[in-house]
This record gives sequence, C-alpha cells and structure tokens, in this order.
Amino acid sequence: MGEGKIKVLLAKLGLDVHNRGVLTVAKGLSSAGMEVVYMGNASPPEILEVALQEGVDVVGVSCLSGAHLTLGSSLMTLARERGLVGEMVFLIGGVFPPQDVERLKEMGFDAAFLPGTTMEEIVETIYSLVREKRAASLEPLNREEG
Amino acid sequence: MSANEKTTKEILKECLSSQHRRALYSPEALEEIRREFVRWFSSAVGERDRESWRETPLTVLGSDVPRELLYTPLSNPDLDYLRDLGFSGVEPFTRGIHANMYRGKKFTMRQLTGFGSPEDTNARIKFMLEHGATGLNVLFDVPTIQMYDSDDPMAAGQVGMSGVCVDSVEDMDLLFRDIPLDEVTISIVSHYPSNTAILFSMFLVLAEERGIPWDRLRGSVQNDTTMEELVRSGSEYIPPRDCFRIQCDNIEFIKTHVPRWNYITLNGYNLREFGTSSITEMAVALSNGIETLEDLLSRGYSVDNIGDRLAFFWSVGNDFFEEVARLRAVRRLWYKIMKYRFHARNPRAMWMRCHVQTSGVSLFQQEPLNNIIRAAYHALAAVLGGTQSLHVDSYDEAYSVPTEEAALLSLRTQQIIQEETGITHVVDPLGGSFYVEALTSEMEKRILDEIDEIEREGGYVAAIESGMLHKKIASYFAEQQRRLEKGEIRVVAYNVYKSDERLPDIDVFRYPQGVEERQKARLERLRSTRDSQRVEEALSALRDACRRKENILPYCLDCARARCTEGEMFKVFKEAYGLWRPHGFW
Repeated sequence: MGEGKIKVLLAKLGLDVHNRGVLTVAKGLSSAGMEVVYMGNASPPEILEVALQEGVDVVGVSCLSGAHLTLGSSLMTLARERGLVGEMVFLIGGVFPPQDVERLKEMGFDAAFLPGTTMEEIVETIYSLVREKRAASLEPLNREEG
Repeated sequence: MSANEKTTKEILKECLSSQHRRALYSPEALEEIRREFVRWFSSAVGERDRESWRETPLTVLGSDVPRELLYTPLSNPDLDYLRDLGFSGVEPFTRGIHANMYRGKKFTMRQLTGFGSPEDTNARIKFMLEHGATGLNVLFDVPTIQMYDSDDPMAAGQVGMSGVCVDSVEDMDLLFRDIPLDEVTISIVSHYPSNTAILFSMFLVLAEERGIPWDRLRGSVQNDTTMEELVRSGSEYIPPRDCFRIQCDNIEFIKTHVPRWNYITLNGYNLREFGTSSITEMAVALSNGIETLEDLLSRGYSVDNIGDRLAFFWSVGNDFFEEVARLRAVRRLWYKIMKYRFHARNPRAMWMRCHVQTSGVSLFQQEPLNNIIRAAYHALAAVLGGTQSLHVDSYDEAYSVPTEEAALLSLRTQQIIQEETGITHVVDPLGGSFYVEALTSEMEKRILDEIDEIEREGGYVAAIESGMLHKKIASYFAEQQRRLEKGEIRVVAYNVYKSDERLPDIDVFRYPQGVEERQKARLERLRSTRDSQRVEEALSALRDACRRKENILPYCLDCARARCTEGEMFKVFKEAYGLWRPHGFW
C-alpha cells in the first residue's frame, strides 16, 4: 500500500431517512486514514457532480429505502455516460435482499455491502479496489492529491 | 429552561424526600437475611462468582447496567409497597395504567402497513383487518415522509417504497377506501410536526368530505420534533424552534377540534433504533414531553386537560428483563413528573400510555428465521411490561418490506401471546420479583439522570440546537458498532455459532411496478383539474401564517381542501421559516 490518501465521497441515495450506517462508515473510513466527504442526502446527478469536483477515488452510497435498484441504476447509468466507471470505485451499502447484490454489480457497482458487514471488510475492499483501478489507469497510489 | 429554575430531578428529590416511607421489609427481617446472605456468599458461592458478582450484559442498544448474580430483598431494602408499586390503575401506576389491564382491554394489535400506491396499501390494510388486526398503523413512503411530491425529481425511483405514497387528499381517499374512519383507530405515522400538519390536515379534510364529524375520529399522529430534527437524515430541515412550535401548535389544534385524537406520540423508538441506549431513548422522549407541556401551559392550558392524550412509543429489544423493567420504570417516572412537577390531578394525565414496536436493529440477515424467535421474545417483554399496543417486526425486515406471509406471522405472534400463553390473565406478573423491582428502580434513576443532563443543557430543544444530543448519539453508536464487530455483543449466526456463509434466498417482498408512473399521472391530472387560483390563495395564506408564526393547521386544512399537494405546502414552510443545518454526527 502506498502513502497516498484515498478520498471517499459518501452520500445517502435520494430521500432515504436512515443514516446511522453511512455515518458509522464515514467515521470508520476516516479512522482508517481516508479522507471522507459526506454530503448527506443527494440525487444521483448531485452525487456525481460533487464526486467530480472533489476528485474522489471512491463513491459510496447508502440506501435502506428499497430504492437501491432504481436509484442505483440511475447513478451508474449517469456515471457510465460521464466516463467515471473506470475512473472511480463505486460502492453501495444498505438493507436489500442478498439476491440483489449480483444485479447491483451488473449495473457497475464494484461492491455491495449488506447489513452486518464489518468496517474491516469495507476498508479492505476499498484498498484493494482502489489499488486495482489505479493500476489499470497506470496511476500510482501515492499520487499527489489535487 | 432558565438558570434559576429547578430541574425535574431537583423538584422530584425535594417532593419525594419529605414523604414518609413505610418499608415493606422489617429491619429485623433484613438483618437476618443479611446475616444469612453473608454466610451463603462465603460458603456456597465460588470465588470466581464472588469476584464477578456484578456483571454487565452487553446487548444490542442496551443500558450497560450491571446485574447481580442473585437478587434478594437486600437489593431493594427500603421498598415501600404502596409508594413504589401499589395497585394497577392507581398511583404510582408502576403495575399498569388500568386496574384490570388486559382482562379489560386487550393490547391493540397494530401492525405497520404501507407500500406502493394508496390502492396497494388499502388492499393490505383490508387483509390485516380480515385476519384480526385491531388497529391500523399507516406508514408513508420516503418522499411523503420527507415532504416531496411523487413527481419531484428528488423523489425519482422512490415512490411507494417502504411506505405508501400520498400527495394530496385524493390519495388519502384511495388509501382509506371502504375503511370506516370513525370505527377503527388509525395511527397515522406522520413522523414530523411538519408533515403532521400536512398529512393530518388531508386526513381531516377526507373525514369532512365523507361527512364524518371530527369528534368521532380516534387514532394518533406522531408529531415529534425528535424525528424531524434529530433522527432524520434529510436534505432540508426547518429550524428546531419552528419545528417545536409547529409540534405544539398541532397539539393545540387537535386538542380543540379532534378531541379523541392522540395528538403526539413521543417517539423513543426511532431514536433508539438510530443508535441510542435504552436509557437515552426514554430520557429524550420524556424531556420533549416536559418541554411540550411547559409550552402548552404557557398558552393557558391546564395540565389535566392537555396532558391526558400524550402517548409514548418505545422500542423493545433483546435484554428481556431490562425491557420489562424499563416500561414499568418509565410509567412510574412519568407519573411522578406529572404529579410533582406539573401538579396534575386527573389520573389520565398521569398515565404513560404507550405503543411498542419490537426492535428492528436487533434483527439480522443471517439465518433470517431466527428473527421470528427474537421478535417473539421482544413482544413478550412488551406485554409483560404492560404496553397498550404492539407492532411485531417481521423476520424478513433485514431484507425488505415484509411479504404478506411474514406480516401475517407477526400478527399471529401477537395473537399467540394474547390467546395461548395465558400471560394476559394476571396484571404485571413480574411485579414483586426482587430482580425486576431492583432493575425498575435502577432504570428510573438512570432515565431521570439523563433528563437532568438535558435540562442542564437548557432543555430539549436547546440540546438539539447545540448538537449535544447528536454528539451523544454518535459516540454511543460508534461504540455499539465496535462491540458488534468484536463479538462483545453476541449475536447468534452473526458473530457466534456462524454457519454457512451464504445468505439464504428467502421469498422477499418486491414492490409493485408502475407506481411512480401512475402517481405522476394522477398528480398531473390533479394539477390540471383543480382550481389553481384557489390553490395559490391557500398557499399564500399559509405562507403569511408561517411568517406570522401563527398556528398553521387551519391554513394547511384550507390547502388540503383546495387540493394543494404535500410538496407545495412543505415548499412554503421552507421559504417562510428558512433552513437549518443540523450538527454533524462524526
């Protein structure tokens, strides 16, 4: 692992009211040494706009409202249109049926976290996915952050 | 609260310390028990147990109160039967608010219902009523809770999810089609004061249009500032002071015009599920109750008149005896607050009436059928604690909204407790247990201590504004997460007795298709057929009322009559009150 700080954008997908999970993740990722931007509730276009502005490595969205497939798909469709899918790591977490994990991955999410996932698993997943993406784009992990 | 006022804890201490107490156990008996206890302790109890005589059960969202190995009269030596327990239906109400409790009135089986379109939920409501549900509990979808219309871009992809969508009085009509509004008690889970003003107005206009006088309606709204300003994740918040005023305004209006309606449900449930201890859950709800009463008294109401329809809503989770003790404790504490702080004389105003929902965060995705067992224990604790109504969470809720089969199983869980276990024949069956009584007193003390902490911060609203409560919650839930991950809180099939890693493919609920499109079309039709001038006038009158800080309910009613939508009304609130940014949690 290099020294470069991983920058993560976290958001509540849409109008979902439940935010303890995403706040716990935000705290966990900052304790693990990542730079976290938490934007609260946001629509898919708003999330991508901030992701671009902030130049993040990872976009993590939380959804416990049942809208993970509808909003998840609109987020990933937009991300693909804007050419962000290969550039950033996309993660989703929340309450949804385990059967939906595969569908979310087909949409383009790099990982989907169900209830009960530990912080350690999330941190490890982020490290390994960011390493892969940076290797693919030939960008060293310890780059200067912009 | 101003600096020279006494806190609730100080008032209770003053009033109660001067009371003459008659101990149940005689000093001689206690002395003899003590002697024998010492002998037993040193001869029969092993060294390891002597050293860890008190141990603290680590449970999901528990209190961290240490427990002794064995409870005896020595655990509660100055117990005064009449002052501390008494009889059911009379002061101090520890044993229950009614003399005959469930022999007289069974607990209401009030399962939450709401998903998809108003028609979808209407069908599920009828299904539950046909199978013996005795009350309704209607939950709205995320855009409705957050006060956005179904055709708002922010609502895209979420219409009809985790609740039913309601945009206008027309949807309210479809939702309650064929349901006699004056015959069943209806709990409208309008979480916030803001959406209570909007959604309850639509409900009242529906009753009006069906020719049902408002004084025949029975049910409840939530109308709770905690939900709007503390627990909620949202993109836009109105300031806590305005929110709290709307809460009190709603109460004032409903008290006057819908006299049998429960105008506030002080919600501990969602706060605890969000991540607070069993103690903080109750302390925050009671602090809100206290401040609400102070506000209404300052408007000239008497406590006996305005205090009789406050209801509470609790989460009951894993620590079985703690949950029973907590319900008993909060009943006694609320009585003391009403009696000594507010000088209530009407017994109804001293009742801590409550609805319990079993704990959702205590349910896990791993081996979901285990959740049936968990929820059944939660439900049993709630009934042994003397709840007035109950919702049992379904085993598949860690996956999605319950399927019809799972919802029915939850209802059956309640019916089995009520009809088969025999526990409803005897009032407060655990009363008198050395353990339960000691724990009840400990819970009461700790809840009061946390109320004191909040009052010293300046009171309930001030503790939200300052971020004190946000911070307290954040540090508690971070610690919870750590304990769960480290396995200090033991959860079967999640961190102990783990089996097959693969999650089972249970039959999960799938939302009906096409709800959003149908709802959008319905809104378009509504907007093109309603009298737009009347709409504009109603909204502009509402805006003026908000700016004048007047009671907005009469204006919301006019808006509902004019077929204004929920989103249009909330937009007015935002413009008039401005927006507030809550404190960060991390």
